[in-house]
Amino acid sequence: MSDEPHTMNRRQLIRHSAWFGAAVGLAVVGGEVISHVAGTADAARSASRPTLRFAQVSDSHIGFLGKANPNVAGSFNQAIESINNLGYTPDFVIHTGDLTHLATPGQFDQVKQMMTGLRTPHVFTVPGEHDSIDDGGQKYRSAFGAGARGDGWYSFDIAGVHVIALVNTLNLKKLGHLGVDQLDFVAKDVAALPSDTPIIVFSHIPLFAMYPDWGWGTDDAAQVLSYLRRFSSVTCLNGHVHQVFSKTEGNVTFHSGTTTAYPLPHPGDGPAPKPVTLPAGKLHDALGIREVSYTRGQSTLALKEKVLQ
Amino acid sequence: MPARPWAARAVLVGLMVVAGCSSHQSATTTPSVTFGSAATTPGMPGMSGMAPMPNMPAGTTAATAGPAAPVSGNAVSIDNFAFAPATLTVPAGSTVTWTNKDEEPHTVVANDGSFHSPGMGSQATFSYTFTKPGTFEYVCSIHPYMHATVVVTQ
Amino acid sequence: MILIRLAMAAALTVTGISHAYLYVHGYQHIPTIGTAFVVQASASFALALLIVIGGPPWLQWAAAALAGGALGAFVLSRTVGLFGFSEQGWQPSPHAAISVVAELVVVGLWAVYVIGHRRARAPQT
Repeated sequence: MSDEPHTMNRRQLIRHSAWFGAAVGLAVVGGEVISHVAGTADAARSASRPTLRFAQVSDSHIGFLGKANPNVAGSFNQAIESINNLGYTPDFVIHTGDLTHLATPGQFDQVKQMMTGLRTPHVFTVPGEHDSIDDGGQKYRSAFGAGARGDGWYSFDIAGVHVIALVNTLNLKKLGHLGVDQLDFVAKDVAALPSDTPIIVFSHIPLFAMYPDWGWGTDDAAQVLSYLRRFSSVTCLNGHVHQVFSKTEGNVTFHSGTTTAYPLPHPGDGPAPKPVTLPAGKLHDALGIREVSYTRGQSTLALKEKVLQ
Repeated sequence: MPARPWAARAVLVGLMVVAGCSSHQSATTTPSVTFGSAATTPGMPGMSGMAPMPNMPAGTTAATAGPAAPVSGNAVSIDNFAFAPATLTVPAGSTVTWTNKDEEPHTVVANDGSFHSPGMGSQATFSYTFTKPGTFEYVCSIHPYMHATVVVTQ
Repeated sequence: MILIRLAMAAALTVTGISHAYLYVHGYQHIPTIGTAFVVQASASFALALLIVIGGPPWLQWAAAALAGGALGAFVLSRTVGLFGFSEQGWQPSPHAAISVVAELVVVGLWAVYVIGHRRARAPQT
């Protein structure tokens, strides 16, 4: 058979279009079926309630005065109200740092008072670099460091999940830094845990290299992650970057959360990570809190970002 | 290769659906927290029903825009999250003054620990007298990717 | 050839099932990758069905492209990462290995089909 010029008459075009349409149609139907099965499986697994559900709030920067948000206390209050109106009581709330903007005693007082309004059994915090200006974190520890070790790190167990709270905002050279004492703590802390224990890690600065040029990374994170390599489910939640961002590396998933104060630019979008003033009315779209739930049997945590209204 | 792909596929899809629906969740109680070896409980308790604090008054900031001012002698300006000049050379005995032209707070912290400014707000200054010659690298402890050097000559 | 079409459909079904299973069991929560998985699975099933019931040859090309794309995405996820997602080795096993083998079969069968078709059309020299 010789090669014929590749033209099509109208009948052939209709025929090919029909097959193409069938392919697309079937794919869409198939997709719906699979999604439905996935949703049913998910719902069946969390029939009564998830094994653990909590809220993350971050970077309230109480004391900030700037065009980007002239009322950070107001927006933090809104975030607290948002958490109190989730429709369920979170098992705990975690504030991933930069509670204050300038680490003054007045600002620590104010943010602590505000957080007592959270309707939840436990409120946990980790310090941001703004919380340790001038004193290496002493005022932060007086306000929030009860029960913590070293510069403010600690761990606890809840619903079979092991939670580790890390401080990587002291003794900074260019990136976040954990330090040998803290690394020792983590190594010993997880040594006896079975590998199927789900692990959640909180820190202020990302434990992954989100954008090192702006200090968005931790210089000795590789060490601490090596202690967690054997676990089947490891989730790291952080703040600092004032935007939502996720990354999965093998068994570890990193989720950066957004702020309740003011947005920062996306990595590389401008000369520096300085507060971004959005057009009027757009600020609250960039602020928010996050709901996190874990259900036994699933290795990934389910996250739901909630924008401030 | 299955001789009857239809049947095989139907069976496999059926198996998939069954697998998906099989596991069930049975916990109904609120989980409690156990703290490891800490003497006191970490974190703080939340409570219900406290009235929120009154809002903080809005402040105004005098933002300085424009290029960094030309540097004369012993001055370093902190502008746009950068130290200018990145390297400042002064004779021993000089006093160097840093001025924060940004809205954001910054600090000036020597890598070798020889000087450590308090938190500097907008327009705040910090001065340090370099008595001994040497090369002094420093960073902002809040934004440590910001770094510069002071070179002190004889 | 009917045999090649059946084999391709079977391989497509296998890779579709692997991706669908993983989607149902957790990958649905992973941003972008989760969606990609359900798209891959549904497209695989759709193409498998249409190839079996005797659709035009371009369906086989589409299947090869889909399988090739899935293979490429797999390689990316083990090396530089894909949409912020990366994994090690052959995790999750055995689904990853099964899927890769099925996709290689699809691409291989398509190559056989194309070569066979070319030989049938080219004059003997």
